[in-house]
Amino acid sequence: MLDTVREVSTPELIALRLHCAGPVPRALAWLIDLAIRGGIYLAIAIPLSAFGKGGTGLVLVAVFLIEWFYPVLFEVLGRGATPGKRALGLVVLNGDGSPVGWGPSLTRNLLRVADFLPFLYALGLISMLMSREFRRLGDIVADTIVTYRRSASPLPIAPEAPHWRTKAPLSRTAQRAVLAFAERAPRLSPERAEELAEQAPMLTDDALGQQAVERLYGLAHHLTGRER
Amino acid sequence: MRQEQFEARFAARWDEFDLWLKHTRLPRRQRAKQATPFADVEMAPRYREICQQLALARSRDYGPAVTERLHRLALEGHDALYGTPGGGLSRFFAYLAGGFAQEVRREWRVLLAATLAFVLPYVLTMIAVRAQPDFAYIVLPADQLAQFDTMYGPDADALGTQRGARDDLTMFGFYIYNNIGLAFKTFAGGLLAGLGSLAALLYNGTFMGTIEAHVVNLGHAARFYSFVAGHSSFELTAIVLCGAAGLKLGLALLAPGDHSRSAALRQAARSVIGIVAGAAAMLVIAAAIEGFWSPRTLPLPLKLGVGAFNWVLVIGYLLFAGRRNAP
Repeated sequence: MLDTVREVSTPELIALRLHCAGPVPRALAWLIDLAIRGGIYLAIAIPLSAFGKGGTGLVLVAVFLIEWFYPVLFEVLGRGATPGKRALGLVVLNGDGSPVGWGPSLTRNLLRVADFLPFLYALGLISMLMSREFRRLGDIVADTIVTYRRSASPLPIAPEAPHWRTKAPLSRTAQRAVLAFAERAPRLSPERAEELAEQAPMLTDDALGQQAVERLYGLAHHLTGRER
Repeated sequence: MRQEQFEARFAARWDEFDLWLKHTRLPRRQRAKQATPFADVEMAPRYREICQQLALARSRDYGPAVTERLHRLALEGHDALYGTPGGGLSRFFAYLAGGFAQEVRREWRVLLAATLAFVLPYVLTMIAVRAQPDFAYIVLPADQLAQFDTMYGPDADALGTQRGARDDLTMFGFYIYNNIGLAFKTFAGGLLAGLGSLAALLYNGTFMGTIEAHVVNLGHAARFYSFVAGHSSFELTAIVLCGAAGLKLGLALLAPGDHSRSAALRQAARSVIGIVAGAAAMLVIAAAIEGFWSPRTLPLPLKLGVGAFNWVLVIGYLLFAGRRNAP
């Protein structure tokens, strides 16, 4: 339905739905990571500079490791996300929805160099805008995608209401719509819920206002088979 | 079956699965203390059960909440089942023990191309500068040449360094930072239709050929070879390997064959990313040699002998390692 949702089929032949993240949240995550990396550089460089010349060598090694391996280590060992990505709720996955491993993560992060050209990820941005899943060049080559982390938001529960049945024929789409309404209406304002419920007079016997909402809840209970 | 019956029947098993997933995410010490709802071997059948129930819930149009719950369980189960196995570092060392050389031999075509792109300008500029010393000043700016003049001149503090600048650890850090970074960029440049890698190889060949001939022209041959002999094998081979990996990417982009361009790129990257990682490991060795061994003033035959030994080591490794259990 939404064009940023990617369905991947697992070997068990069920479709997993992943929500791909666009350039803006990813750029923000990159900025946060940049600040964190800057902080780490300082935290390493200040104590090591006390060691004089030899310290400079160690700082250079540290800078090298952070510059190239900071994202790789976090992506593979930190459940797919650098601290910046975690803050934005993003996660890096393989194209088939499985967690990213060493090879793909190394590939996508080494190829940042190409994405960065000619300045500030211009090439990467063009590539993201041209691909359906917002992949930058490194993502295309490594076959990875950046998606929103599965929300841990509590699952909605349809509120209690007296049972209600209707003689009108209920198509599958209509049934699905009634169930979705019952689970989502409590999060809407009462006025909006009533307005929506009044759109289906054939299901509520032309009820109005709060009664229409209650009747749709009742119909949902009837459909799911909840005990009276 | 109505949705409520379905949920009532299986909810307990879903809770158990959820608990098992949470348990795998605990740190190792806590994991040992807490009991799991079921044994790890049971995970796969349980996961398939969840998948089946998700498919059922979707096809029977159960409400979004129960579908979403099953979907989340399936996603996390999928992650747990298909995630990366642990032991990254030990697997990398096992790869270096044989798989690396195997993959390099498999990619001999691009490796040959990369070697030519590096060696040809190297040899040609060397001949040109030896025959016509002033040619060096056409290739490189005079102050850069003067730098190398002092590095290998008789009054340098240590071999291969500018006056008073030597500190082994600092140089080691610099070689790590600079050389491996450049090698990675050489690889990434391959994504620009191979041009980035090709340019890096040609430039390095030209640069090194010019410097070598120039320094020899000035009569610093002994000191120059004493410095470079030890690490040249690891360093030059690794540069060529990264270039070859980049060329492979470029080739996939230019001539994808029977695949789409992105599929060809994906395949190429999968077959060469290990080579890039292996080359990085070689450059760490090179940096250690260059930082701590090469600047030592020891008898020239010894330095050259170690250099030759390293070349035999590198070439022998790439030719013969991992043959016994080759596929």
